[in-house]
Amino acid sequence: MQPKDLRYTEQHEWIRVEDSTGTVGITEHAQSALGDITFVELPPVGKQVAKGDEACAIESAKAAASIYVPAAGKIIEGNAALEDDPSAVNSDCYGAGWVYKLELSDPSEVESLMDAEVYDKFLAQEAR
Amino acid sequence: MVEFGGWVLPVQYEGVLAEHAACREAAVVFDTSHMGQFVITGPRAAEELAAVCTQDAASLRVGRCRYGFLLNKQGGVIDDTILMRLGDERLLLVVNAGTVGVDFAWLGEHLDAAELVNRSAEGWAKIDLQGPKAFDVLACHVEGKLREMSYFAVAERTCAGRPCVISRTGYTGELGYEIMAAGDDTATVFAALLGDERVTPAGLGARDSLRLEMGYPLYGHELTTETTPVEADAMRFVDPNREFIGAAALRRALEAGPKRRLVAMRSQTRRRAQTDSAILASGDAVGAVTSAAFSPSLGVSIAMGYVRTEHAAVGKPLTIRTTRAELPVETVDTPFYRNGTCRAKLG
Repeated sequence: MQPKDLRYTEQHEWIRVEDSTGTVGITEHAQSALGDITFVELPPVGKQVAKGDEACAIESAKAAASIYVPAAGKIIEGNAALEDDPSAVNSDCYGAGWVYKLELSDPSEVESLMDAEVYDKFLAQEAR
Repeated sequence: MVEFGGWVLPVQYEGVLAEHAACREAAVVFDTSHMGQFVITGPRAAEELAAVCTQDAASLRVGRCRYGFLLNKQGGVIDDTILMRLGDERLLLVVNAGTVGVDFAWLGEHLDAAELVNRSAEGWAKIDLQGPKAFDVLACHVEGKLREMSYFAVAERTCAGRPCVISRTGYTGELGYEIMAAGDDTATVFAALLGDERVTPAGLGARDSLRLEMGYPLYGHELTTETTPVEADAMRFVDPNREFIGAAALRRALEAGPKRRLVAMRSQTRRRAQTDSAILASGDAVGAVTSAAFSPSLGVSIAMGYVRTEHAAVGKPLTIRTTRAELPVETVDTPFYRNGTCRAKLG
């Protein structure tokens, strides 16, 4: 059900690694639970972050949540298109709805995160 | 689903933004059965209610509704209500869910010859049909005159074959009706309305963003026993020169001038404030937010809150300190949303 080329966190972020760049967003499960996204706070570019840090926040019409850092690195870009229209997080969470990009300190750190199959099992377990 | 006033209510069906838009553009139906309905009857019902409610029941004509308050002796708001005159000796008071018990006790204490019945406790329910297409939809189901009902009119009508009380009132700023009936009958009407493709069911999320776009207060937020209608900018609904519980306190409050006032604030961004966020003027805390939401119609966040009176003028820059950021806002006139159809003339 989840894209196979991504890694996943227990806080329902996904990360896509291309060379040493990690692109981060929230999963289908997270966007569905939050409902209509009304605001995405983008993390400050240039900030050094560690795995598990809070990167930024997201608000929906019914809730607010934090977005965490899946792997250590430096923030290099926020998805500026979400500032005016955050609805892409709902409509295309693994594509146009990405939230920020990281220059990863150690791209292999991502391998300790869940793959799609394990994340699916994790979701099934959470639902119980 | 979420707990609200002792009831469990849906925050949304399909989605808050879609439901909000459906109300502004077409029609939605809310299940508002959690709200309280009291029937007050007897030859002295209007006269006695007039001494308890800010609404002058004695001057309220049969077939009309009036918004107002139950106040304590200090002028604090026990509840905000809509009083409906169904007959010479029969009135209906619609109250908030969380205050049903307190209101019923207060009225019981202060009414004498009038008979007071908590009709909600007998299983009466309520739904609200709201939106510019509300009349077109409801007209398909109602026997008897509907078009003639102007804003804040009330009438007893047969709807979907069931006996109902229908008032042309609501909490969204749009053309709409509140429909009250016995529980089973309300369910029948609800199903009939949902069977119309122009109607979308809507939950508490959209109800809150719709009411806040109109600057309508919500009990427990803008209105509490610690706030007076003077502070809440609600004296247009109250004649303080009439005698009712709390009137003397309101006259004193008007004389002294309120120390704080309710203001409406518009942000420049989509980030929203939180209830209880501090409101700052030139760095000093001057008040607190009582309600905040993203406004789908305006595309920015909006809020209401109390500030010290010297900061309450419209057009003033203020700052709201949220847990994550400082939001620049400007005090504005209400309603935030100006194209509401609630007063539409149906000719």
